[in-house]
Amino acid sequence: MRKLLTALFIFAATPAVADYTMVIPQKPGGGTSQWAQIVATELEKYLGEKIILKHIPGAREIPGFNKFHNELRFDDKTIMVSNGGNGVSYLNEQVDYEYSDYESVGLMNLNIITAHQKIHDPYGDKPTSFSGGGGKIPEGIAMTILKCGNMTTENYIACFKEKVNWIKGMKGGSRRLAFKRGELDGTRDNPAAFKKHVQPSIDEGQAVLWFHHGILQTDGSHADDPNYPGIQMENLFYDMYKEAPNSELYDAYKLVKSFRDGLQKSLWVNKGNPNRDKLVAAMHELANNSESVAAIQKKVGNYDWLIGEAGDAHVRTLKTFVTENALKTLVEFNKEAFGIKAIYKPELVK
Amino acid sequence: MIEMVAALMGGVLYGLIIGIVPSAGATTGLIALFGVISYFAHEPYLGVIFLMAVVAASTTGDSFTAILLGIPGANSAAATMVDGFPLAKQGRASYAISAAVTTSTVNGLIWGCLVFLLFPWYTNLIMILGIPELWAFTMLALATVGFLSTKNWIRSILAIAFGIFIGMVGTDPETNEARYTLGWFYLEDGIQIMAVAAGLFAIPELTKGLFTKSQTASIVKDEVLVGMKAVWENRWLAMRGGFIGAFIGLLPGLGGQMADWMAYGSAIAANPKEEFGKGNIKGVIGPEGANNSQKATSMITTVLFGIPGAKFAAILMSLFMYLNFEMGTPVIAEDTKFFASMTFGFLGATVIVAILCIVLIRPICYITSVPYIYYFPFLIALVVYTSMQYTGGWEDLAMLAIFSIIGFTCKYFKFSRPAMLIGYILAEKIEGLTLQLTGLYTLETLIIRPIFMILVISIIVIFIYSFMRKGKIDYA
Repeated sequence: MRKLLTALFIFAATPAVADYTMVIPQKPGGGTSQWAQIVATELEKYLGEKIILKHIPGAREIPGFNKFHNELRFDDKTIMVSNGGNGVSYLNEQVDYEYSDYESVGLMNLNIITAHQKIHDPYGDKPTSFSGGGGKIPEGIAMTILKCGNMTTENYIACFKEKVNWIKGMKGGSRRLAFKRGELDGTRDNPAAFKKHVQPSIDEGQAVLWFHHGILQTDGSHADDPNYPGIQMENLFYDMYKEAPNSELYDAYKLVKSFRDGLQKSLWVNKGNPNRDKLVAAMHELANNSESVAAIQKKVGNYDWLIGEAGDAHVRTLKTFVTENALKTLVEFNKEAFGIKAIYKPELVK
Repeated sequence: MIEMVAALMGGVLYGLIIGIVPSAGATTGLIALFGVISYFAHEPYLGVIFLMAVVAASTTGDSFTAILLGIPGANSAAATMVDGFPLAKQGRASYAISAAVTTSTVNGLIWGCLVFLLFPWYTNLIMILGIPELWAFTMLALATVGFLSTKNWIRSILAIAFGIFIGMVGTDPETNEARYTLGWFYLEDGIQIMAVAAGLFAIPELTKGLFTKSQTASIVKDEVLVGMKAVWENRWLAMRGGFIGAFIGLLPGLGGQMADWMAYGSAIAANPKEEFGKGNIKGVIGPEGANNSQKATSMITTVLFGIPGAKFAAILMSLFMYLNFEMGTPVIAEDTKFFASMTFGFLGATVIVAILCIVLIRPICYITSVPYIYYFPFLIALVVYTSMQYTGGWEDLAMLAIFSIIGFTCKYFKFSRPAMLIGYILAEKIEGLTLQLTGLYTLETLIIRPIFMILVISIIVIFIYSFMRKGKIDYA
């Protein structure tokens, strides 16, 4: 009853006493919305001020971030929440937002794990059926590189069409169900969702781990994930081909996986925001409290926060992957292999 | 536990009021909740209890307006009105209301138990039925809506086609390209359900209420126990109505009026020597048995496959999405707390609303005597507020205006609005499942799947039947 009354009180009183606004670029109920809700609740405790959530949904979560960039960021009490999808859109869609214009409050540098059916040989003759779509670009490229070895982008495109059955039109729920029923050969999830939805199939002997992308380090390398050791894409490649992956598509892969997973869940304020230090201090307190951390990790898995300056350094590391060739290759592969729209943005290279 | 009871009571009160208000009903009541549902985001299971209580309470509550005013609170009470209103005009309103509430409650409890308590068992179905079966089941939903629910099936097909079209506006899932957006970025995330549902249903129905002249009957003598006794004397009629409603609820995309009219028709057929339409209590008991059972069973396809069993379920499904419950997924199938919340909400509300309706029958009747003009501005404001929950900008209002015009037009020219809504809701599913089906299966692998073939044959049979049948009722 107390919780209900508290909720009603918050409902009635929030607009009057709220101090911070957290802008979420999607409708309530989405993954990032839920994450933001948890973070806002925890962060309020250390900030000592209220945070209200403002949902600005729109196609591929672009309008909300654009609105932050063009208008809302100039308000010192506005925090932006972004996700990996924003990172991917930034690379090959026309968007207004620009990460260099903001300062990081905190971000979570995550990873994505994949699995395949035990009876399916991902390197055999039968193409691997995998749920496609804009959010799975790094997985699609990684499996192409793993299946095909080092080659030219043109050959990769042909190899993808031959060895990957890219199934479109699936959302998270239908993808998980199709994999569980054995209709899809492969699947992917973030670590927390993987543990919940895919691990049971592995434990029952229906599925096996395939690969993950690794975790971005400050020096630009990707390290093995201690939660799922030994199956980082680069390690598997080396085991199979006795050489490191080395191709234009591999550069594009590093670029897109880093922007998606490295910015999977992020909080931003405008550059020079006077409240940033206060927010960063609250984030440090949050990250040091095991209860708060556990509440957030329940949603995304056991990964550390990059807070304040560490987040800014992370963005600078991400920018080192942005090269003309990597961007052009990514655009080409998106269009020719995945059949999705993509534009080359020369301004990113500058 | 106290929070659960509070959510239940809140849902019951809101549902009862929205059920009693003329021209409102479960669908309008649910549409109006888009604006506040996110306040349950921290306690989503309380939100489930609240929503299920709204459904159960509004379904029982709408009998009051049908009987006392001759205006159904929702279309699903229209059949009850035929004999209920004449009874009320004879001064026997409490007799009719008591019979209606008792029948609704008994069937709500029976079918609610069969559906909600056994839900975890039904979830096995989602592992048995694969993409081909879901595709065929979705097509069956469209076939039943298009061909069975209306005599004007050509208009119904056009309505479905238009619904699918508006459901496809947004971003192409194959290419990520904007589709049918006319260059308007606002539409790239698709047309939002709040504007579609409010424009197609809430605005036209609420406006209609302004122009509906009603004669308010009142309770002359207290016949609550006589009404209950009438249900006992006609228990098999009540049970048959419940069974008909349950069966129709199971068929994806139907529900609502069709079940009630079929139950009313079966009451007439079973009593050929009696006169109906002038105050026969059997004309109340028959259809009232159907509407609560239909609400319960239509949740099966909604929850397990994400295919709404009726228009209220289509709205409910979207509200559940706001609480992060995605229908037709393994997460839902394994979420026992979700099923427990649904059971508690639906069954609890069914019992409480029955007690309230019987004990407070006279005060509730006074509510119906409040002129509709007093409700109207509040309800319209609520619906407009709800429709602005997407961006809060003028675009939301523009979409509401556009869909209100479409809603009025469809209502006037008898194009099926439920068919349009279900086409819109299922558009994404149809496209996604078709892509998955063609990507993962071939004709050879499809024809060896017996359930898939049975569903395809059923669709063909429905199509042929729609050409041959006569004497159809228009449920649009």
